[in-house]
Amino acid sequence: MRIKNLSRRRFLKTTAVVGGGLVVGFSIFGLSEDPLPVVTESDGFVPNAFLQFTADNRIIFYCPRDEMGQGVMTGLATVIGEELDVSPHTMEIVHCEVHSDYANPAMGIQATGGSTSINAHYRPLRQVGADTRALILAAAATDLNAGINELKTEDAQVLYNGQAYPYGRFIETARNLDPVTDTPLRSQADFRYIGQMSRRTDALAKVTGQADYGLDAKVEGMQYAVLVRSPVFGAKLLSFDDSAVANKPGVSAVVSISNGVAVVADSYWHARQAATALRVEWEATEHSSLTSEQHRSELTSALDSDDETTAIDEGDIQLGFADARAQIDGSYWTPFLAHAPMEPMNALVRLGANDAEIWLGIQSAQAAQNLVSRVSGIPTENIVVHNLFLGGGFGRRGVATHVVEATEIAMAVGTPIKLMWSREDDIQSGFYRPASIARVRAAVDGNGVITAWDVKRAGGDITPGTVKNLLPAIFPSLPSGLANGVASTVGFLFSNLSPDSSSVEGLHENYKFANVQVKNSSIDHGVPVTFWRSVGHSNNAFVAESAMDELAIAANIDPVDLRLKNTVDNPRLNNVIRIAGERMREMKLPEGHHLGFASHGSFLTDVAQVAEVSIEDGIIRVHKVLCVLDCGLAVNPDIVRTQMEGGIIFGLTAALYGEVSLEAGRVKQSNFHDYQMLRMSEAPDIEVIIVDSKTDPTGVGEPSVPPIAPAVANAVFRATGQRLRDLPLRLKG
Amino acid sequence: MIEFSLNGENVQTDIDPNTPLLWAVRDSFGLTGSKFGCGAGLCGACTMHVDGLAQRTCILPLSAVAGKRVTTIEALGSADNLHPLQQAWIDYSVPQCGYCQSGQLMSAAALLEQNPEPSLAQIDQAMSGNICRCGTYPRIKQAIMAAALSYDATTKEGA
Repeated sequence: MRIKNLSRRRFLKTTAVVGGGLVVGFSIFGLSEDPLPVVTESDGFVPNAFLQFTADNRIIFYCPRDEMGQGVMTGLATVIGEELDVSPHTMEIVHCEVHSDYANPAMGIQATGGSTSINAHYRPLRQVGADTRALILAAAATDLNAGINELKTEDAQVLYNGQAYPYGRFIETARNLDPVTDTPLRSQADFRYIGQMSRRTDALAKVTGQADYGLDAKVEGMQYAVLVRSPVFGAKLLSFDDSAVANKPGVSAVVSISNGVAVVADSYWHARQAATALRVEWEATEHSSLTSEQHRSELTSALDSDDETTAIDEGDIQLGFADARAQIDGSYWTPFLAHAPMEPMNALVRLGANDAEIWLGIQSAQAAQNLVSRVSGIPTENIVVHNLFLGGGFGRRGVATHVVEATEIAMAVGTPIKLMWSREDDIQSGFYRPASIARVRAAVDGNGVITAWDVKRAGGDITPGTVKNLLPAIFPSLPSGLANGVASTVGFLFSNLSPDSSSVEGLHENYKFANVQVKNSSIDHGVPVTFWRSVGHSNNAFVAESAMDELAIAANIDPVDLRLKNTVDNPRLNNVIRIAGERMREMKLPEGHHLGFASHGSFLTDVAQVAEVSIEDGIIRVHKVLCVLDCGLAVNPDIVRTQMEGGIIFGLTAALYGEVSLEAGRVKQSNFHDYQMLRMSEAPDIEVIIVDSKTDPTGVGEPSVPPIAPAVANAVFRATGQRLRDLPLRLKG
Repeated sequence: MIEFSLNGENVQTDIDPNTPLLWAVRDSFGLTGSKFGCGAGLCGACTMHVDGLAQRTCILPLSAVAGKRVTTIEALGSADNLHPLQQAWIDYSVPQCGYCQSGQLMSAAALLEQNPEPSLAQIDQAMSGNICRCGTYPRIKQAIMAAALSYDATTKEGA
């Protein structure tokens, strides 16, 4: 099977499609009245926004979430296919365009993130599948003159009287039937696909070079653009000198836009080469001399600031310290990080007189559509988003400022524009995981019960900037002033009333503490920040799980036992801690190898990890990682494993190498030589144990990231006696 | 005018000979399976074979392949006739986002051409220039080992 985003756009009236002039209510998932942007070579039968049956027996699934490697196409095809009784490998799976039916039920907008996709669609898409199968059975009963109870289905076929009929045989009759709703869902015991599938549906396209990403998009008459942005975040353009640029080979235009100066040429290579000759003057900002040392020093000072908000304040902290058997007090540092997806950001925009198209891979096609509309004035309904495979997302493709850039350049130049970021642009002009510092003071009593947990965190907040970028992307006609105003208000709230949950998530929730307080000071240094795989948990699990280890050592309690004792009210996490702890005790270690333990729940999934570490020539080597998780029912256990493996390696890259630092207000790192990624030779063996569960599935894209850094740091302490409280982990001496 | 062999076909182009091979192949010949990741030979997403050896084509000028044999992912195998590595990649569910996998496969294929029975250390060594941000390394390693077992000398490039 070949997966491909088709390019033609057709509108089909849902009411006409379901037939009988029936008006279908909005309340039914996938059946709103808005015309569907169904893309098809032959209309066939489109019973809802997600499925299309053609006369030549193809079944097309319009996948509402974006495939960025997490396996969502395979996963959601499995979910809908289970009830439809069609194997995910029998369907053609395509990325959908923008439509209200494709909103993420967990978010209310058409966006992919927060490890929500399987959880949020698990029941709604099964219902769509079940209702559609019921409709086809009803049509088959009519056409075959049989009772519905005499019919069975198996992988896109109706079975009757010893014969097998493809679903496509019945679509003419199905077209004229009333839609079916509220069909009972299968019981888990009858599942054929959920819990079984191993192979990914997109693998063939991806191993033959046939999968299309934004980078691969082309349109007649397009030119390539590169954009020179301010090296200091947010600095305004003063002037530019393109005298050495205009005569370079292939260059057709140099234009300034809101975010920099674009060089437009007949190829990316020509544009990039020419851009090096561009001279640009930028206005100084209040952050033009910022260094990482100054930034860290200001965050550290804020630990003692009363200018703070409270996430939780329960019990009596002082009392908690009074009868302590042991106490700890340590501050943990987590740096800015770039996402560095393998595909640098890009977008191809074609603007017509009153219509437009954009080709790209993005975590919110709706945001792309709205931003093209906002910049160009073209109505959203005339803008087609061709959402392609994402060459990695990790949160970075939740931000769409490159769409604004490409649209502005296309308006200035008058031809379709393919804007391409370099890796240097990606590392130096992007959006980042916030840096933070957090101080933990905690106490444990003689029974291993934690009696005080006092955390103060200081750093940037994600949400105000996200609101500023996202509001115009959700409401394209919202005036900029208003969007900025709302963003400022949100920032004010987080600075004065209640912390941004993205900043403090994961600092205390996994455990039940009788006396607990968590406070936050918001410090903005003008560095754009956004969601980075597992968001605040990526910083805060390092804080909390390092502190737990320190507390166990201070009190001479087994670190697994300490966690077990303090998670009795959190049975699912408690269970994965117990399983991983038992396995840890059985592990046989080569000479010089040491184990570290960490556990963390995020995105509704609970994870415990054990890292086996040695120190070789002063370098931290991670040999093995055991990962035990409970994510509810695993729709595709093999994809769950790949997400655990990938998240661990992603988190390990951050733990061992990840750091974006600042000098003179600029990012120091520029490419993979100084923003290093884990390589194959450094990748550990990873064993994943998925706890058997019958509860609805929970997130898997992110939850394996948070525990790995503290698991490794805790192992390093056992190997060296050094307690490393800064990320990335660097041995002293 | 530069002439070379591209996936078994003699081709010629008059674009700037300093253009990196990656862009020439993608833009002039429309083969987009090879990807751009760093522009500095650091990540391997652009890997092709030049006379059978894995090369980082984002920094390899077109002029360097004059008269040589260039092979891209598009000619490693096809849906109907997969290279053993491509089949192993599917069997072990290697690709996640998939963006780096053309380069991973081309590096692995060059390795098996040179050394049909690589050790784990030799695999690590040969694949160390290819970054995967999704973290598919453990499965790439498994897939290479599996493909090596089934590797048939007759699948050799150009044979």
